[in-house]
Amino acid sequence: MRLLITFTASVVIAGVLVGQDRETFYAFNDRAPKTKLEKTISKVLPSIVKVHGASGLKTIQSYSTGIIVSKQGHILTLDLILVQVDRTKIVLHDGTVCEVDVYPAEEKCGVRMLKIKDGDFKKLKKPLVPMSISKKQKHRNGTFVVSLGNCFRLAEFSEKVSATLGVIVSRMNTGLRYRLMDVDYGGELIVTDAPNNPGHYGGGLFTIRGEWIGLNTKIVESTETNSQVSAAIPTSELAAYVERCIKKGRAGAVEPEDEVVVVPVHHGIKLFDHGRRVSPPAYVERVKRGSPGRKVGLKPDDLIVKIDRHTIRTCKDFRRILKLYKPGQTVQVTFKRGTKIKQSNMTFEEVK
Amino acid sequence: MRLLPLVMSVTTLAVGLAAQGGSSIRYGFLELQDTLYNAMDKVAPSTVTVQTFGGTRKVEGGKRPLTPPKMPKGTPPGGKKKKPPPLGMKGFLQSQGATTGIILSEDGWIIVSKFALNYDPTTILITLHDGRTFNAVRKGEDISRQIALVKIEAEGLPVPKFADPNKVKVGQWAFVLGRTFGAKDPSVHMGVVSATRRVFGRALQTDAYTSPANYGGPLIDIEGRVLGISVPMDASGRKANVGLYDSGIGFAASIADIQPLIERMKKGEVLHRGFLGIGFDMSHLGPGAKLKTVIEKSAAYKAGIRKSYTVLSIDGTKVLNNFHLQMLVGIKMAGDPVHLKVRKRNKEEFGVTVFLTKVPDAQMAAKKKAEAAADEPLPWEKDRK
Repeated sequence: MRLLITFTASVVIAGVLVGQDRETFYAFNDRAPKTKLEKTISKVLPSIVKVHGASGLKTIQSYSTGIIVSKQGHILTLDLILVQVDRTKIVLHDGTVCEVDVYPAEEKCGVRMLKIKDGDFKKLKKPLVPMSISKKQKHRNGTFVVSLGNCFRLAEFSEKVSATLGVIVSRMNTGLRYRLMDVDYGGELIVTDAPNNPGHYGGGLFTIRGEWIGLNTKIVESTETNSQVSAAIPTSELAAYVERCIKKGRAGAVEPEDEVVVVPVHHGIKLFDHGRRVSPPAYVERVKRGSPGRKVGLKPDDLIVKIDRHTIRTCKDFRRILKLYKPGQTVQVTFKRGTKIKQSNMTFEEVK
Repeated sequence: MRLLPLVMSVTTLAVGLAAQGGSSIRYGFLELQDTLYNAMDKVAPSTVTVQTFGGTRKVEGGKRPLTPPKMPKGTPPGGKKKKPPPLGMKGFLQSQGATTGIILSEDGWIIVSKFALNYDPTTILITLHDGRTFNAVRKGEDISRQIALVKIEAEGLPVPKFADPNKVKVGQWAFVLGRTFGAKDPSVHMGVVSATRRVFGRALQTDAYTSPANYGGPLIDIEGRVLGISVPMDASGRKANVGLYDSGIGFAASIADIQPLIERMKKGEVLHRGFLGIGFDMSHLGPGAKLKTVIEKSAAYKAGIRKSYTVLSIDGTKVLNNFHLQMLVGIKMAGDPVHLKVRKRNKEEFGVTVFLTKVPDAQMAAKKKAEAAADEPLPWEKDRK
């Protein structure tokens, strides 16, 4: 009896020692995850793929990241030039290389769906682990997030993609710029302080609990701050495209949206715009009698600072913002007279 | 006795498991999350949006054209064809977006970053967290800390708690809030305190990303107390360095320990860092600081201090070496008196009280000229000259 117990004890001790040895000898073996963050990352990693494509351009990387969104092998990634028909391959997290079909891109968000080719799909040994899309998002600023992607092509084959930690900085809807070009994206963006480097594009942004909340974008500049932002497109904006692609099998070409017809509005406000290169603040020069501007009570020398939630910093802003409205619409105008701030509602009229 | 091996084995097992488990992390991010939300909720009502309109002054830089200039056609006689100049900004053009401010008192004093006023705006508007907008009047400034005070006509504003900057520990959590993006909740950047008493004890350093997105916003700790105000600074504290945007090198000027200065700023004073007007002999390693040059008409010159004199102590503190004196003077503001004990060339010692001045404009102009010379002129600019 005593012998047995001693034997058991020694086996246990040996087991512990062997266990420790394994960790030191096989440094490439991951240890079991302990914290919630580690568990989340290891749970999410199988859904992330490395995307490799063709690119003849110096400034555009030939690699990015994608996320598996269906069991049939649909993969969502960012629409870069590198994604070309017959030239694009993906690498699953276990190192399997697959060829993919390319779907038509979604113009608005700049994302594209890929699908593993049937031949390669049948050869897969393990079933795919798709991420589910959360349509409603209630994460407030300051929520911890982890961003996963193949930044700078550091991971090859079965090597794991990189994780960066940050918080949700803000959910914003602001002007964006990419290499001196304005980006035409009207939707909401999740800005994080988890760094977003080349190659990280198309990767996912996850909460600590493992919920997928956004698809990493290219590094864009905010026109508001002139500084670069790491941003992600919220999954809620992508849900419709993903559903359409999965349902139809092959999504047809995206129909172009109806062109927005700008109907000029009559407000009767003449601003003091001297027409120099730098547009001056929107000071009122005169207001036409009987016009909506006169009804509001605007007077010369008032400074228009806001229309609804849009800040009017210059006369140019004023003209730009007015294009968003139609005759008959009522807006809240905020203006400054002397040292007082006043607000009143103005209804635009048709131009006679 | 029979049980002993069993006990031993169990103990070994437990020890083994503990060894394999390693150090367990006591506070995960989920626990930290709620604490962060609480801290943000405490400070968020005290942060305001600062919007500016008009203004004329251009920020330095922006030498390269945004549109390609017209290049002469054909090959010029006896030479290679010139390359068109690169486009884009060489320096930087400051953004005109909204910035942030912190409420300093219930009766409408608001502290903002000097960055918000760089264009000398004609109109400053402050929007509170509840959406009310006020016209703000510009008051005093502290150039050395890159902060400014504005006043709005409002009452009963929520004032945040300010933490004592001397009790801040390097490595503690620090978050910067900002209101540039105009959302209902302030934006937040995460980091830790990287260093204390930077820029002559004027600022904390943090690795939370700071840029125009949160200049003027508070740097808060995990308990929701304000450690400082996020400002554009470099280590010399002279200018806003665009290279430091979102680089993980951010500065926050401390507020809690400058109450006397704030009182002066409320009266409309513009504060500068103190200037003595001396240059050091770098071959001298101490004790005391040996002077190589004394600028004419500077505060030190007027007090009878000449070159090759040695400064032995300042306000009773023994000067260890040149750099020590620089540090001790750097803390002071223009107008502050300092008592110096100086040794002459003939070993004679005397004490003198000097009133520091601000850095004279001529000095600044020389510095700017030197900085401009360091920027190599671009090829087509050379031709023009």
